[in-house]
Amino acid sequence: MADALHTLSAAELGRRLAAGTLTSRALCEALLARYQAVNDKVGAFTHLDQADVLAQADASDARRKAGQGRGPLEGIPVAIKDNIAVKGQPLTCSSKMLAPLVSPYDSHVAERLRAAGAILYGRLNMDEFAMGSSTENSALRKTFNPWDLARIPGGSSGGSAAALAAGLVPLSLGSDTGGSIRQPASHCGVVGLKPTYGLISRFGLVAFASSLDQIGPMARCVEDCGLLLNALASADARDMTCFGPSDRALTPAGDAKQLRIGIPKGFLGKGVAPEVAAAVNAAVEFYRAQGCAVSEVELPSADLAVPTYYVVATAEASSNLGRYDGVRYGHRSVVAGTPVEMMTASRSEGFGPEVKRRILLGTFVLSAGYADAYYVRALRARAKIRAEYLAALAGVDVLLTPTVPTPAFKVGEKASDPLQLYLEDIFTIPANLAGLPAISVPCGKSGHLPVGFHLVGAPLSEAKLLAAGRLFEAAHGFAHQQAAL
Amino acid sequence: MSNAPSGWEVVIGLEVHVQLHTRAKVFASSPWGFGKEPNEQVDPVVLGLPGTLPVVNREAVEKSILFGLVVGASVPEHCSWDRKNYFYPDNPKNYQLTQKDFPVVVGGQVEIELPGASRNVMGEHKFIRIHHAHLEEDVGKLSHAGSGSLVDYNRAGVPLLEIVTEPDLRSSAEAEAFLRSLVAMLTQAGVADCDMEKGQLRCDCNVSIRRRGAEKLGTRTETKNLNSISSVRDTVIYETARQIRELEAGRSITQETRGWNAELARGYVLRDKEDAHDYRYFPDPDIPTLKISRETVTRLAQQVPENLYDRQRRYVEKLGLPYTAASVLVHDRALAEWFEQAAAAHPTNPSGIANLVANDLLRDLAASAGAAGGFDESTPAPVSLASCPIKPAQLAGLVKLTDDGVISKQQAKEVFAEMFKTGQDAAAIVDAKGLRQNSDTGELEKIVQEVIADPAVAKSIAEYRAGNEKAINALKGPIMKRTQGKANPGLIDQLLRKALG
Amino acid sequence: MAEGFDIDHLAKLARLSLTAEEKALYSAQLNQILGHFQALADADLPATIDDARVVDEAALRSDEPGPVLGAEAVTRIAPASHDGQISVPRVVDDES
Repeated sequence: MADALHTLSAAELGRRLAAGTLTSRALCEALLARYQAVNDKVGAFTHLDQADVLAQADASDARRKAGQGRGPLEGIPVAIKDNIAVKGQPLTCSSKMLAPLVSPYDSHVAERLRAAGAILYGRLNMDEFAMGSSTENSALRKTFNPWDLARIPGGSSGGSAAALAAGLVPLSLGSDTGGSIRQPASHCGVVGLKPTYGLISRFGLVAFASSLDQIGPMARCVEDCGLLLNALASADARDMTCFGPSDRALTPAGDAKQLRIGIPKGFLGKGVAPEVAAAVNAAVEFYRAQGCAVSEVELPSADLAVPTYYVVATAEASSNLGRYDGVRYGHRSVVAGTPVEMMTASRSEGFGPEVKRRILLGTFVLSAGYADAYYVRALRARAKIRAEYLAALAGVDVLLTPTVPTPAFKVGEKASDPLQLYLEDIFTIPANLAGLPAISVPCGKSGHLPVGFHLVGAPLSEAKLLAAGRLFEAAHGFAHQQAAL
Repeated sequence: MSNAPSGWEVVIGLEVHVQLHTRAKVFASSPWGFGKEPNEQVDPVVLGLPGTLPVVNREAVEKSILFGLVVGASVPEHCSWDRKNYFYPDNPKNYQLTQKDFPVVVGGQVEIELPGASRNVMGEHKFIRIHHAHLEEDVGKLSHAGSGSLVDYNRAGVPLLEIVTEPDLRSSAEAEAFLRSLVAMLTQAGVADCDMEKGQLRCDCNVSIRRRGAEKLGTRTETKNLNSISSVRDTVIYETARQIRELEAGRSITQETRGWNAELARGYVLRDKEDAHDYRYFPDPDIPTLKISRETVTRLAQQVPENLYDRQRRYVEKLGLPYTAASVLVHDRALAEWFEQAAAAHPTNPSGIANLVANDLLRDLAASAGAAGGFDESTPAPVSLASCPIKPAQLAGLVKLTDDGVISKQQAKEVFAEMFKTGQDAAAIVDAKGLRQNSDTGELEKIVQEVIADPAVAKSIAEYRAGNEKAINALKGPIMKRTQGKANPGLIDQLLRKALG
Repeated sequence: MAEGFDIDHLAKLARLSLTAEEKALYSAQLNQILGHFQALADADLPATIDDARVVDEAALRSDEPGPVLGAEAVTRIAPASHDGQISVPRVVDDES
C-alpha cells in the first residue's frame, strides 16, 4: 500500500523493487508527499531537489527494466548530511560560511551510492560544521525530535536521525566525531553506526577533526544499517587514512548468543537518568538470558576521555576550518580594507558561536607555550585510552553502555552551558579516540522519549556489532518505530 | 675569500627551495608546469575545497630520497608531515603541509669549488654541510593589479624540496659556489630542473656577523625569496656591509625578515607580522607516517650519478685534461658523457678531444640553439646534445686524423665546421675537399730546396741565419703555395731549419 | 582564568573579530571548560604517543596527472575574480 511505504525497511523496499511490485518513482513520489506534509514540522532537510530525485528514480527504473539493476540499494533513497559532498548539490555544513557553496565534486561515498544505484536524496540539517549535540547550532534552520517537537533530535547528525524517525527516508548518512551519529540515533529511536576509523573513506567529508571523523550509516533497523555499510565501505586511494584493500578484512560475526559482553565499571553512575539506566540494564539482562557472558571491565582512564577529546578535536578543527576565509569560495564579507580585515570579517560573519568557541579553544591548545601542556599531553592520553580499550576488548567482544546519560532535552534548555553538553558525550567519545566501531540500538523509552544502548567493538568487528544488534532487535519491537506526526 | 674586513667574520646559511621534477603536484594529482593560463592547474584538493584530502606523490618522495643519496645524507626509516598554520591569500588551506620533526633527508654535504687565482687555475675546494632537506608544498602566486591583488593557484601544491645548510658559508663567493654546485648536482641527478627564470629555485639567505675567532654566532637576519644566484651574492655582500656598519656604530642587529630589491640593489625590512611566528605546528592527521623501505633506497642509489668534482678530478688526474676543459665538461652531465664516448673511441688524446668538445662543439651548439633560457647569466646554459649533428665517434675520428698528421690543426677547424654542417665523417670531408696534408718528406724536401734557391727569399734567409727567428716564416708562404696549402706545417718547419742550418 | 588564555591574541591568530560581549562570554565559557581539563594536566601518562597507523610506499600516489577543475569552474565558485584569477583586497606587505 502506497501510504505505508515510508514505514518499510530498505531491505523490504529492495525486495519489492526487485520483484517489480514497486517502482522507484512510486516510492520517491510517496516519500516526497510525506516530505511536503511533514518536513516543515520536523525540519530534517535543508534542501531537497524534487525534480532531481524523480529524474534519478526514473533512471533507476530504466536500469532495472534493462536488466541492469545494480544491487540491493538500486532505486532506494538515501538522504545525506550536508557535510558530505555530492556534486551539484549544496555543501553548506549548515553554516552561513558555506551557504553559497555548490559542490563541484563527489565524495567517495556519493560515488559508491551512485554505483549502487541508490537515489541521492537531499541534504540534511546538522550542527554547523558538525560541532554540537543538538542541531541547535545550525545556521540554516531548526530540526526537532519527531517524538517530541519541543525537543532536540540530538546532533550533530540531527537531520539524519529525525528524517528516519519521521519516515521521510529509509536510509541516511551521518558523520560521527564524538558521537554525532550515535547520540541522535539514540534520541530519535533509530540505529546509527560509527565504523572503525579508516573503514569508510573521508574523501568528500568536510573535516571537523580529521583523526576522529567518520561517515556512518543510519537506518530504522540494524539490517538496513548493515546494507548501507556494505555499500560505503571500500578502499579509496584519495584518503591515506582509509584502509587499503589488504587491510580491511572484517571479523566474521560469529554467533551473537556467544558474545562476551563487558560492562565498564562505574559507567552507569555517571549522571545517568534512572529510566535510561533501567532500559540499558534490561538490554544487558536480555543478552545474559540469551547465553552471553557478561562481565565487568576496568577502564581506569575513562575520566580523561572528554578533556582529551575536546583538546584533540578542537585543535584539529581550528586548523581544518582555517581554509574558510572568503577568498576562494563560500561567504565573503563586503567589508573592504586589507585581506586580513576581509578574512576576519568573513569568518566572523560566517561562523556561529559554537564554532568560534571551538576554534578559539583549538588555537589555544596548539599555541606557542601551551601546545606541550595541552595538545601533546592529549595525544599521550589518547594513546593510553586506546590501549585500555584494546586491552578490555581482548577479553570481551563488545563493551555495553548507555549511548547518552539522559534522553532528548528541550530546545534551548542547554544553550548557555557548553560544558554541560560536552560532558554528555562521555559514552560515545572513547570509540572515536580509540578508532573503534560502535553502534547505538534503540532499547526502550524514558516516558515517550527513545533510549538507546551503545556497543563498542574491536577494530573491524562491525559484523559482530550488527549481529548483536539484530539479536536484540528481533526480540523487541523497536525496529521501524516511527513517531506519529 | 671573504667580504668582511679583517676582524670580522660573516656566517651564512642558506635555505634553498627547489621545485622537484615531477608531472603532478606533491599532495594532489593536478598537473603543474610553467606557462599555463591562471588557475588551469587546480583541482579540488589544490583549492582546499571542503572535504578534500592530501595524498603524497611517490615520485616527489623518491626524488627527495635521491637528493639525499646524492649528497651522502642518511635516509631515515620513517618520515612524516606537519601542518604549518598561517593565513595568507596564496595559501589555499591556510596551512602549508611541510616536514618539521621527521624530514625525508637528514645530513649530507655538498662539495664546492671556489674561483682560482686565474681562469685556468682550479680554486680551493670545501665541503658545506646540509642540515636536512624536507618535502613540502609550494603556495600560489600573488600579483598586484590596481587597487587589489590577484591570486593564481597554479603553483599551489607544487612539490618543493627545502634544502637547509648548516651555517658553513663564509663569503658571497662561497654562497655562489654552493648554489652552482647544488644546481649541477640536482640537474645531473634528474631531481630538479632548477630553471631560476621560471622560479624553480628560490633561496632564503641567513647572514650574521661575529668577531673573527668568536664561537658564538651573531644575531642573524633572513632575506627571503631570492630567485637568482647573483641576487644571493649581492645580498650577502650588502647584508655583510650593513651589519658591520651597524655593529661598528655601536648598534645591535635586529633579528628580522628582509627582502631584496634587485633593481635598486638594496635590502629592506619586510613588514613585521607580530603573530607571524606562531605557526602552531602539529602532525598532519590526514597523512600517516611513511615507512621508507631499504629496497627503495637501494634501487634509487643506482641512479646517483658520479659527483661532478669526482669526475673533474678523474679527468684532470687520470686523463690529463687541462683544468678549464674539465671544468666545462663536468658541469653538464650529458656533455661529459658525450666526451667520454668520444674519448673511448680514440683513447690516446683525451685532451685533444676535450678541447674540441669544451670549446668548438659547445660554441657551435649554443649558436645553433639560439639563446637558451636557463640559469643565471654567468652560468653556461645546458645545451641539447640530442640534436647534435656530430656523433662522438666522428669527433674522435677527426682528432685521430690530426694526431696522425693527416691534416693540420688549422685544417681540422675547417673540417669540424663542415662536419657540424653536414654530419659527415671527417675522413669523407678530408677526401672530398682534398685536404690531406702533404707529409711526403721526399717531395717536400725537393720543394724546400727549390724555394731556398729562389733569390727572392735570399734576404730572409740571411736574416734568419743572423738570428731573426721570425724571418723563416717568409719562406713558408711560397712553400705552401707550391703545395696548394697542403704541406704539413710542422714538417715544413722541420725541413726548413734542417736545410738552412 | 586559565593560565595564558588571552582571548584577544587568540582571536587575532584565528582571524576572528569578537564583540566585547562575545569576548566576555567566550572567555568565561572557555575558562570553565579549561578548568575541567585539569584531569588531563594531573594524569600519569605514557611517554610515547603510539602512532596507530604507519603506511608503506604502496599508499603513495603514482605521478600521473589527474583531472583539473578548469579556470572557469574555479572563478565561478570564487566570490570575486578577474581574468581567470581570484581577486582579493590589495596585499600590503611585500612578501610574495
